[in-house]
Amino acid sequence: MSANAAVPTPPRRRVVGYNLLTGLVLGVVGYYVGWWIGHHIHATSIGYFADTNQNDIAVFLGYFLSVVGFLAGLGFLSYPWARVRGYPPSLREKETAGVARYFGLCTDHKVVGIQYLIGIGVFFFIGGLNAMLIRFELLRPGGQAFPAGNYLTLVGLHGTMMMGIMSSAILGPFANYVVPLMIGARRMAFPRIEALTFWLLMAAGTLLATTIFFGGFPTGWTGYEPLNDQANSGMDSYIVFFGLVGISMLLLGLNMIATIVTMRAPGLTWSRLPIFCWGVISTASLMLLASPVLIAALLMATLDRTAQTSFFIPSAGGSTYLYQNLFWVFGHPEVYILALPGFAVVLELLPVFARKPLWGYRLAVAGMLGVTLLSWLVWQHHLFVSGINGDLRPFYMLSTELISIPTGFTFLCGMMTLWRGRIRYTVPMLFCLAWFFNFLIGGLSGVFLSDVPSDVTTHGSFFSMAHFHYTIMGGLVFTFFAAIYYWIPKMTGFQLNDRLGKIHFWTMFIAFNSTFAPLFAIGFMGQPRRVVTYPSHLQFLNDWVSVSAFVLGASMLVFLANFVWSLVFARVPAPRNPWGSRSLEWQLPSPVPVHNFDKIPVFTDDPYGYGDDDGRVPAVVPVGAPAGGGS
Amino acid sequence: MSSFAEHSTDYAVVESEPPEQLGRNLNTAGHLLASATAFFFLAFVFAYFYLRALNNAGLWRPRHVNPSLTLGTLAIVAVVASAVLIRLGLMDHRAGRRRQWRLKGWLALGLAGVAVALQIAEWATQGFGPADGGYASVYLGWTGLYAVFLLAVIYWIETLLATATRYRKIESGAPPAGHASGDSHRTGHDIHDPLSLVRPSLEALSFYWAFLAGIGVLTWFILYIL
Ligand SMILES: [Cu+2]
Repeated sequence: MSANAAVPTPPRRRVVGYNLLTGLVLGVVGYYVGWWIGHHIHATSIGYFADTNQNDIAVFLGYFLSVVGFLAGLGFLSYPWARVRGYPPSLREKETAGVARYFGLCTDHKVVGIQYLIGIGVFFFIGGLNAMLIRFELLRPGGQAFPAGNYLTLVGLHGTMMMGIMSSAILGPFANYVVPLMIGARRMAFPRIEALTFWLLMAAGTLLATTIFFGGFPTGWTGYEPLNDQANSGMDSYIVFFGLVGISMLLLGLNMIATIVTMRAPGLTWSRLPIFCWGVISTASLMLLASPVLIAALLMATLDRTAQTSFFIPSAGGSTYLYQNLFWVFGHPEVYILALPGFAVVLELLPVFARKPLWGYRLAVAGMLGVTLLSWLVWQHHLFVSGINGDLRPFYMLSTELISIPTGFTFLCGMMTLWRGRIRYTVPMLFCLAWFFNFLIGGLSGVFLSDVPSDVTTHGSFFSMAHFHYTIMGGLVFTFFAAIYYWIPKMTGFQLNDRLGKIHFWTMFIAFNSTFAPLFAIGFMGQPRRVVTYPSHLQFLNDWVSVSAFVLGASMLVFLANFVWSLVFARVPAPRNPWGSRSLEWQLPSPVPVHNFDKIPVFTDDPYGYGDDDGRVPAVVPVGAPAGGGS
Repeated sequence: MSSFAEHSTDYAVVESEPPEQLGRNLNTAGHLLASATAFFFLAFVFAYFYLRALNNAGLWRPRHVNPSLTLGTLAIVAVVASAVLIRLGLMDHRAGRRRQWRLKGWLALGLAGVAVALQIAEWATQGFGPADGGYASVYLGWTGLYAVFLLAVIYWIETLLATATRYRKIESGAPPAGHASGDSHRTGHDIHDPLSLVRPSLEALSFYWAFLAGIGVLTWFILYIL
């Protein structure tokens, strides 16, 4: 092997050094430095807290320097600083042995994938707890536990946390982990950026939680103006959170596309690319292009709140509709950022468990790309009742309803793959099948919201809330769990308990439907979203929903118990390829060695040719140029 | 220890990745970054025409809101000149004229800095503030964030020049041991011949900088001329 390959001294394990602890300490220090500076800015042209007794400049500066300090403490600034001094580029950092690498900057895509899984899990749990509190409050028609303002913050925290964090729920943990393995690469295109996207997301989630120290925010996850501008400092947490999520998503998307475009192993042509990678490309392109619009809108809101510009203030030459438009230009692609990874997981897993090739590969790809394209042309359906020009409505109604065609392709391909398959009802497969049921209801109820006359009566009610929980929870969260049960054996080398998995699935599936199906009725009967009270005749249905929601929450505890029991206590080693998949990641040992491949593989065939054989023969041969130049 | 904590990078396998790979990554990233940048500024284009058309409270653009055309034009000329110089520097680099490329590079860096300075001078002397209506908001937000992108390009140019200058005596091959960026305990380079990456990075920069300068010209046209 090459002469310069030797590692002379292993890194010393230190508490003081670039790690999570240092990051947190510097994050807190950075916050107070920013806060202090913010209180010493006195520009005559900026009467920034003349009309209120709060100083948003100090809060924003505090958050900004907090993030800078956090990243510096993790070690993200040392490489850019080395480059400023002229040192040449390098790719890998902190890929050391041991568990310490999970608590800091590490450029190994498999470490980042596992970091994402745990990190997203933590915030998913917090968002879920908020949902439990919301349903607890709604047990009685009048207010019981929370004042109206706190209830709004609770709803906003739940929605914002879920939308922001779960946008990366599949791409963060699973695409980061398996895409390089699927395409025969040793790394992602930009390993440091990959690590950065994860730590930015963690900083974002933490800062959002601090909104409770600043009085929360009243807008829900959409952050609408002019409430956004009038709200107290808790709103700043929302803005910083979504801004950081936007940057994280943008970079995640860029990295994914660059990786799949430039790093495919020899022989892996576009028509042989695993369908999961096509889903990742579709999602990533939406992340890359929609996030900048969100970031821009939030920067405008920041300027309105600090520098006294008037982007969104009608009395000073601005417009609140400007915010609504910009937000939904991002926001509708965002809902497909949440939905498309679900398509990708389902289409990837179905052939494995139906023992058949994916039916209509090209149609499935066209469907996902079609959804990607069309999702740019529909955003004003969120503004049907905002008072937009009525002439705009038919176009947006039709363009929205058009999306059901490419979405239908995905359904068709999935159904035809199942047709006459030798279906194995494993836990990941059950979650995929539940996706068909849930997403169908979610999609059909969406037609009512895209249709102007029916939207006028259902907009802003629990009907639309039930609709998007069917698509996002029923579409994304179910496939998130499918992906966990499917890939965890590869990621950790251990099996998850099958019986607990099935208990988890059935309680979650039944409780989910029992929670959200009645909400369609509640919405039709006129109960609005985000309001803490409701008419007393709706109490029975609300109580039914709340109890179902608590069971749904309990099903997550079953999962958690399974996760901890299987990975920490039972530790049953997983076989190399437990599902009999032909995809490349399953041909590698579990867990995967850090450099992935001793030799870069060469693809010779379509990786989905499941036939009469048991599918354990990979369509790749491990030949090719030996690794490294060996200079 | 758990089995997924046992492995660490087998540097013997991953060391000496061919530089062409990262070169292709950079090229693709330059284009992707350009498309994301376009969508970012599209939000400001939209805001400009939307607020202008609405003219809420008659406060789109009060009379005194009139930034200096001279300073704005000088700033955009500096931006375009800098992008052109990077392009010419790239041609020098391709032709093996390393000294000329570095000269043009430093000049381009200086011009980008001049553009930022001119923009700051304009804000300081313009006679209106952020609270002066729709146009003032769009103008300050747009030019301010464009200046942030200029600073990012300045960083990019600087890192290229710093590497090219530091290793100007080495034609190709790896810099001496101990010069690896990243992990402090490593002396080797994980990319074979990392210095050859100046070229692809310069190619990507040249494309991106030309694109951003184009957005700058559009900015100038919309904010000053329309
Ligand atoms: Cu929508």
